[in-house]
Amino acid sequence: MQGSIGFPILTWITFLPILGMLIVWLIPSGKDEETKKRSNMLIRWTSVGITFIQLILAVIIFLNYNNGMTGVNQQSGFQFIEKFTWIKASLPLIGNIHIEYFMGIDGISAPMVLLTAIICFVAVFPSFGIEKAVKGYFAMYLLLDTGMMGVFNSLDFFLFYVFWELMLLPMYFLIGIWGGPRKEYAAIKFFIYTLVGSVFMLLVMIGLYLSVGSFNMLDMMNPANFASDSIFGGFNTSIRYVAFIALFIGFAIKVPSVPFHTWLPDAHVEAPTPISVILAGVLLKMGTYGMLRIAFPIFPDAVGYFQGLIAWIGMISIVYGAFCALGQFKIGKRDLKKLIAYSSVSHMGYVMLGMASMRPEGIVGAIFQMFNHGIITAMLFMIVGVLYDRAHTRGLDEFGGMANKMPVYTGIMTIAFFAAIGLPGMSGFISEAMVFLGAFNTYPMLTMVSGLGIILGAAYMLWALQKVFFGQIPERWQGPWDPTGKKYKHDDINGRELTALIPLAVIVIFLGIMPNPIIDMMSASVNHFVEFMRPFVKIGGHLSGM
Amino acid sequence: MDLVGLAFYFLAALIVISAAIVVFSKNIMYSAFSLMFTFFGVAGLYVLLNADFLAVTQIMVYIGGILVLIIFGVMLTTRITGVDVKSNSLGKIQVGIAGLLSTIIAISLIVVFSSTKWFLSEPKVSGDSTKLIGNELLTNYLLAFEAASVLLLIAIIGAAFIARRK
Amino acid sequence: MLGLDQFIAELNKSISMFLPETALVIAFLVALLLDLMFKKSKNLTGYTALIGFLVTGYFLFKQMNMQSTAFSNMFVIDQFGIFMKWVILLSSIGVVLISFFTNELYEKAKGVGEYFTLIIGMAFGMFLLVGSSNLIIIYLAIETMSLSSYVLAGYTKEVKRASEASLKYVIFGAVSSGIMIYGISILFGLTGSLNLFEINRFLAANPVNNFALFLSVIMILSGFGYKISAVPFHFWTPDVYEGAPVPITAYLSVASKAAGFAILLRFFKVTFLDSVPGNDSVWTLLGSIDWHFVIAILAVLSMTLGNLVALWQTNVKRILAYSSIAHAGYMLMAVSTMDDAGVASVLIYFFMYMVMNLGAFYVVALIANNIGSEEIDDYNGLGYRAPILGICMTLFLISLTGLPPTAGFIGKLYVFSAVVKAGYIWLAVVGVINSVISLFYYVKIFRNMYLNDVDSNKSKLTYSPASIVLLFVFAIPTLYLGIFFNDIVKWASYSANIFMGK
Repeated sequence: MQGSIGFPILTWITFLPILGMLIVWLIPSGKDEETKKRSNMLIRWTSVGITFIQLILAVIIFLNYNNGMTGVNQQSGFQFIEKFTWIKASLPLIGNIHIEYFMGIDGISAPMVLLTAIICFVAVFPSFGIEKAVKGYFAMYLLLDTGMMGVFNSLDFFLFYVFWELMLLPMYFLIGIWGGPRKEYAAIKFFIYTLVGSVFMLLVMIGLYLSVGSFNMLDMMNPANFASDSIFGGFNTSIRYVAFIALFIGFAIKVPSVPFHTWLPDAHVEAPTPISVILAGVLLKMGTYGMLRIAFPIFPDAVGYFQGLIAWIGMISIVYGAFCALGQFKIGKRDLKKLIAYSSVSHMGYVMLGMASMRPEGIVGAIFQMFNHGIITAMLFMIVGVLYDRAHTRGLDEFGGMANKMPVYTGIMTIAFFAAIGLPGMSGFISEAMVFLGAFNTYPMLTMVSGLGIILGAAYMLWALQKVFFGQIPERWQGPWDPTGKKYKHDDINGRELTALIPLAVIVIFLGIMPNPIIDMMSASVNHFVEFMRPFVKIGGHLSGM
Repeated sequence: MDLVGLAFYFLAALIVISAAIVVFSKNIMYSAFSLMFTFFGVAGLYVLLNADFLAVTQIMVYIGGILVLIIFGVMLTTRITGVDVKSNSLGKIQVGIAGLLSTIIAISLIVVFSSTKWFLSEPKVSGDSTKLIGNELLTNYLLAFEAASVLLLIAIIGAAFIARRK
Repeated sequence: MLGLDQFIAELNKSISMFLPETALVIAFLVALLLDLMFKKSKNLTGYTALIGFLVTGYFLFKQMNMQSTAFSNMFVIDQFGIFMKWVILLSSIGVVLISFFTNELYEKAKGVGEYFTLIIGMAFGMFLLVGSSNLIIIYLAIETMSLSSYVLAGYTKEVKRASEASLKYVIFGAVSSGIMIYGISILFGLTGSLNLFEINRFLAANPVNNFALFLSVIMILSGFGYKISAVPFHFWTPDVYEGAPVPITAYLSVASKAAGFAILLRFFKVTFLDSVPGNDSVWTLLGSIDWHFVIAILAVLSMTLGNLVALWQTNVKRILAYSSIAHAGYMLMAVSTMDDAGVASVLIYFFMYMVMNLGAFYVVALIANNIGSEEIDDYNGLGYRAPILGICMTLFLISLTGLPPTAGFIGKLYVFSAVVKAGYIWLAVVGVINSVISLFYYVKIFRNMYLNDVDSNKSKLTYSPASIVLLFVFAIPTLYLGIFFNDIVKWASYSANIFMGK
């Protein structure tokens, strides 16, 4: 039978990294240089192994996934369901409590699970460059992996919240210990921003629980479950609007949407390459995923009320992010990583815009854009990391003529940059086109302004490409990267880095030509989602199912 | 004003004035001696309330015991007489805030005392209050009595510990 | 007056209900005698205390379902009190164990005989306070606790800051208990009784002057507030916490606070509950004074001031002191709801707080054993020099912040649930903003442990295997209770029942 394989696969895929963390922990760190080196290698390859098994599990999920099932607000539509009572007590004085260990995926979360597995696997390879406190690094890395996987798999709000917060601490340490010069500032900024968002989410969660009597998200989506005299009972009450705003801000900080985006450039610039990859590749998606999974279906009336605002925020993020990225060409500020960070703000704006359209193609485009952006930005950050590892600088104007020095690298980078621009034939094109298609029907003016983002995107990406790869090679980079030849035998990108990048490039091109495998996964769920939201929201144009 | 009222105000004035001397006097011997008048005034109040046992206990324990010990201690410790107890560390702001708070509390208390209808119990038959107190202490108030004994024991241990030579 | 036979029957019944406290008094006396007889032996009184606590635990366990009054309505045994007594007892055991591993005590003080004796005495005071339903007993119990803690705070009298701490504690303590007894006398003057049940009956039947009642209760609150270190009765807290030996600081921040909260809740419910309406789980209060608001203000002040001032501290003990003020604020938030859900959430919070806070102080003690300092700058790189301590400290600190999956999160979850349920959403918002602020200074500690001085060449810290076992005794529940909190919540909910006399 499709849709379940008689094996708690979601639990395994979520908690496998914790198991890996324990294994890493138990590997004895060596006493002298030689054994230390060996134990570090063992730790690294254990992590590769663990994330590889995780990837295989994700592929198994992918192969067994039933495209016809809907999900969203019906338990019967979810797949690979695992549901157990976790905490259950009937308490006369303080009300009953019922928390479930409830996992399952549908068309909204399945692509995210796949994405997380892919990104976590490929990001292990750039992590090989970490030399400081290797054991701690991989332990934190794997813990982070569990947190992210858990967020996408859980269908119980309490469980979701636990995983949501579980990633904070590892992320703090990963940026704070292994980051760049201003790591402390960036790490605490990330921590505080996210926590501010999540504490308000906590209050909303408590309110929902008091109104519904359960932490089950699907129960919260059914208006019939709200007690009529409870806090969130009824529709279109101001307290529901406030609660929606609180949830929305909590998620928008993670996305990050303008004006909650200021932590992102700092975090990206300071984070080590693999962490930037995870941050851009997976973490940002949790924000938009949270909106689709929690904020929108639980407060559909508030979505109807704020729909225009969400579209505006999407549009502003697109344009503002693009301008900020372009701002990196100002003398003295030229940081390649910051440029990509701002391009993320811009690209996540498309997701918001697509979601606000409330049309099937718009939302499919949004989820697909989440997936694509994850893959493409992961590539971009790894590519910057490759250059940074060698040159120890990311200044845009400090490079030039790299095409001659590193031809293979230039090829990969061109693919990634073109994908980020949204060139036809690459996956980014399809998702952005779908987003625009959907959004144009509902918000034609906003969509047209957002088109500016594409033009600006092309401008800054091509400009960056030109700065780094073409023209004169500066004198200081004329010789080999590493004169001793110990660390880098050749000037060009090495095999380990290619192992991580080539699969991503293949995915980008494959999905650019044949997007069906991913789109088919989500269309049933998205159609259902749109049907569910339809009574509450504004949908432009003529609606036909995908 | 009847005789009892007159006696009350006399005793109250005695208590307040001598207590003020305790606090403000720079000579610690004066403080100790005026403390005696405070205790004595309180004992007088107990007499006015027909609490003969309490009055006697007050005189015997506080004046006869504690105060004598204090004066002994002061006289045996020669250096203590010359100590300047005035503290200059308080800033004007702190003094101001403290004064303001005290004034507010004082005014509130005066308002409370003048405006409140207090609970008045039936006057008990006066007479042998010693026996009554003894009976109450060992029956209804047994727990308080025993708890006080533990409290005193702890106080003694603590005092001994602090006083012990290093 | 009772007849003699009747009285003896009553006394027998009372004593049978007073067995845990009696066990404590006997342990106290035995420890005192043993200390006098065997001056040389190092930890004899400590072991006596442990045995005494275990016996007390046995009697407490036998009482689990009891609900009654004893000693002519002066003392109450109910599920609520028993829960709090467990918190006090467990933290007493924890503190005695922590003391065994605190070098400071053995190096800076002359013998630890009186130390453990006074801990038993203090535990007795707290037990008495938790169960008292008469203002006289409340006063006596608070004094018993206070006198022991004054001496304990300055136990290492060779350390200057300890003596200073002790002196400050005495002065502030004397003032606040003076104010409290003044308030008690006004309340007595208004109602003609010292017994909380009788005061309640009087207030239900007769209207009294609101302003006088308000003033007297505020004055009594200053005594309770002093014990739970709520703003504005908190001034002693940072200095005393910093100066006192680490185990005593931990004891003051957990057990003493638990006793204070127990009597605060009991006082408000027993005195002001209007028992006529019938449904007790949402309290209908007597009189027209808005006690919700009064307590809510104290809660907001405590949280905000505690957290904001903690940001500027550079000494870990001081940080934890201000954090304990803030935690008092979180719990007061639940108290201000004045319903049984609030009581239950305070109980849950306390249990969690006990585990994580004792753990955090224990790590501070272990680190001080090695580096002789509690300054935050000396914590640089400790995460690498003492990996187990670092990991456990991080766990305790994120639990204190209230992040899942730790015990502290469950405590916060329930406190906020109670507040939201009672409809004080503004208060809950202030609470969550405060928990974000608190993150700053908790992070500061593990930031120094992990982010600074990464490649430290300084020597590793040394600690005995036994001390690590004790560390896990605190660390494992901190994690476990964050994931499986079913039983503790059930127990707390069952215990939220404060006995109303009839």
